[in-house]
Amino acid sequence: MVRSAIGGRHWKPVALLAFAALMFWSALPVTAQTQTQPPSQSQTLDAITPVEEFSRQLEQFKNSIPQLNKRIEDSTAAVDRWTNVERARKEIEELRALVGTALGAVSDNGSVSQLGAKALAHAREKLRMLEQDTRFRPEERKFLTEQWQRLRADTERANDELSAARKEFADLLRTLQANEDFVEELVQIRQAQKALEVIQRLTQDIREANDQLKRLIGGIKPPGA
Amino acid sequence: MSMRALPIGVVAIGLALAACNPTGDTGYVEIRTVPVASQRSSSLYLDSTKLEPVQKGVAVLKQRAGTTKLSAESIGGQVPLCDIVVRKNRITTVTVSLLDRPPRCQCRNSAPKGGACVS
Repeated sequence: MVRSAIGGRHWKPVALLAFAALMFWSALPVTAQTQTQPPSQSQTLDAITPVEEFSRQLEQFKNSIPQLNKRIEDSTAAVDRWTNVERARKEIEELRALVGTALGAVSDNGSVSQLGAKALAHAREKLRMLEQDTRFRPEERKFLTEQWQRLRADTERANDELSAARKEFADLLRTLQANEDFVEELVQIRQAQKALEVIQRLTQDIREANDQLKRLIGGIKPPGA
Repeated sequence: MSMRALPIGVVAIGLALAACNPTGDTGYVEIRTVPVASQRSSSLYLDSTKLEPVQKGVAVLKQRAGTTKLSAESIGGQVPLCDIVVRKNRITTVTVSLLDRPPRCQCRNSAPKGGACVS
């Protein structure tokens, strides 16, 4: 059930790898463009730092995805063995922790998303400032504007990818919750079954004790009877 | 003097870390707004934290486990909308209707008693 829910609809390892590749692709131009800045523009280099930081964080997140993907696949296979309900519950709990960690990184108030918003704000602000900047010759300004426009577009694309990842992880977490609730119900059924067995055993014991008592009473003969 | 100040400093750092709850349990709140593109939407608050405007109608926020209050900005202060129960590594979804005045909460799952939004 878990496998079908995750593998079939919500969790697509191929899509995840594609997402990781997109992350890498999105991050590359950002890094590359930081190297194309003229060395004399120290002010520009300072301003680019938030974008670099965002790129670095994205890279870290991207690197964690294949490992996360493998662990989720392994755990999903384990959860498929429904014979051990306690183990299934534990596996789902571990899965939730994994997905929760990933979701935490890309959540709207998470570190990567906030860096993304900051980087985008910087790129937009730089473009706005360049329009009014009189320090550069027209061709220089044109070059810088083009660089920042490309940077802005790449950052916007990276932020969109983060939004997609956020939705994917949120959906996955919801699926795991629903499955965990199902497992929880199974545990309760099993516990109720055990309780019933105890009651049945107790009833049997009482019945046997009662029979024994009857036999004992029946065996009592008053003197002379 | 510095030797005497050291333990106090250590305790202060410890207390500060405890207050930050660095290893505390966290869960997630998903806030969906309808309609997605609202021209005049009130600012939303989770407890006392003002939220950034919800982009494209969905925001997923990391939140410390426990019960948190969602409220909206209104004339004269914040109007409480609903309670949201956040559990460790779980996501609680709430839809906020911005057409209503004040905005109204719709829980994906509600607690049997009290009506708080649960995961």
